[in-house]
Amino acid sequence: MAVTIDPIEQFELKPLVSLGHIGHQQLAFTQSALYMFAAVGVIALITIVATASRSVVPGRMQSLAEIFYEFIADTVHQATGDGGKRFMPLVFSLFMFVLILNLFGMIPYAFAVTSHLIVTFGLAALVISTVVIFGVMKHGTHFFGLFVPSGVPKPLLAILVPIEIISFISRPISLSVRLFANMLAGHIAMKIFAFFVVQLLLAGAWSVLSPLPLFLTIALTALEFLVAALQAYVFATLTAIYLNDALHPGH
Amino acid sequence: MLGASSRFHILPPDEFEAVTGEGPRDGKGTEKTPTDSELSARLRRLETQIERKRPKAAPDPSLRARNGGSSSLGQALTLSTEFVAGVIAGGILGWIVDHVFGTKPWGLIVLLMLGFVAGVYNVMRVSGFSGARPERRDRQEP
Repeated sequence: MAVTIDPIEQFELKPLVSLGHIGHQQLAFTQSALYMFAAVGVIALITIVATASRSVVPGRMQSLAEIFYEFIADTVHQATGDGGKRFMPLVFSLFMFVLILNLFGMIPYAFAVTSHLIVTFGLAALVISTVVIFGVMKHGTHFFGLFVPSGVPKPLLAILVPIEIISFISRPISLSVRLFANMLAGHIAMKIFAFFVVQLLLAGAWSVLSPLPLFLTIALTALEFLVAALQAYVFATLTAIYLNDALHPGH
Repeated sequence: MLGASSRFHILPPDEFEAVTGEGPRDGKGTEKTPTDSELSARLRRLETQIERKRPKAAPDPSLRARNGGSSSLGQALTLSTEFVAGVIAGGILGWIVDHVFGTKPWGLIVLLMLGFVAGVYNVMRVSGFSGARPERRDRQEP
């Protein structure tokens, strides 16, 4: 009665349309790209189509869009002050993209795009390059004062400046790894606990225990919905905090 | 101030007088005993004062967000990724330095150690352990 399951198999990329090869590497339109396009479509539906009527008393979809907008506008304003208004579109797009992709991953049999490190790292690299480019454009070399903590004796700076630089470089890594690890761990845990139910049902007398992992799976699913929303929020908030460094690089 | 308000909430005015022994709170004894309506007016004034103070005492949003939300699992993941990210960043930087300057093991060794330091530093900053904001507690109590 050996039913085996590979909890990693759900993260496999499946090419849908092949676009040719570069060397031995296939270029393909995968299901991951399809989900991203679908996410963009859903976001456009929520934000553009739902608010097209522009009624003063918002309908159901319009108030949903307004809630998202005000939520992110508040977050950006709290983290960056008045100067951060120009980054509102960036943070809002990132938040909606991550949130919708995370929630897509919660649909049974669907693919969780954000459980791929390269996707989250791409988003984090976008954030950090925005911080660096905007910071240098706005403040010039003064931006690098970010790496020099104030009120520290000169000899200590020789150690502290490299540490600050490494700490800055670790930001996109921690930003991307946090989202990726949360989604990956959650989906693997759900798969494994759900599989325990099947295994126990097939294990003869032990099948009386099978409701236990079932309840755990249900609880884990609820937790994963929380994590999906929370991680999108954390990603947006940290983006706003990092952008604040580009706006006000003083330590 | 907050303690006084909670006592007001728990005890109705006549019982409050029974506990303190006398009407006026300032202990001068020259004022006449306040009536129920005066006490309730005072209570309402106090509540509006507290309400006005409250928004200032709200916790720093950036600090709250950095903890990765309320769940302890989220906090554990946040702290561990911060630490690991510091080490990885140090390792990558050291590897690049070695490749560019041809200083084979030394760049990796030194920068990996600095990466550990940066990781610990990250964790301290995220968990609010660095003592950078000692004034936050004072602001909560007017």
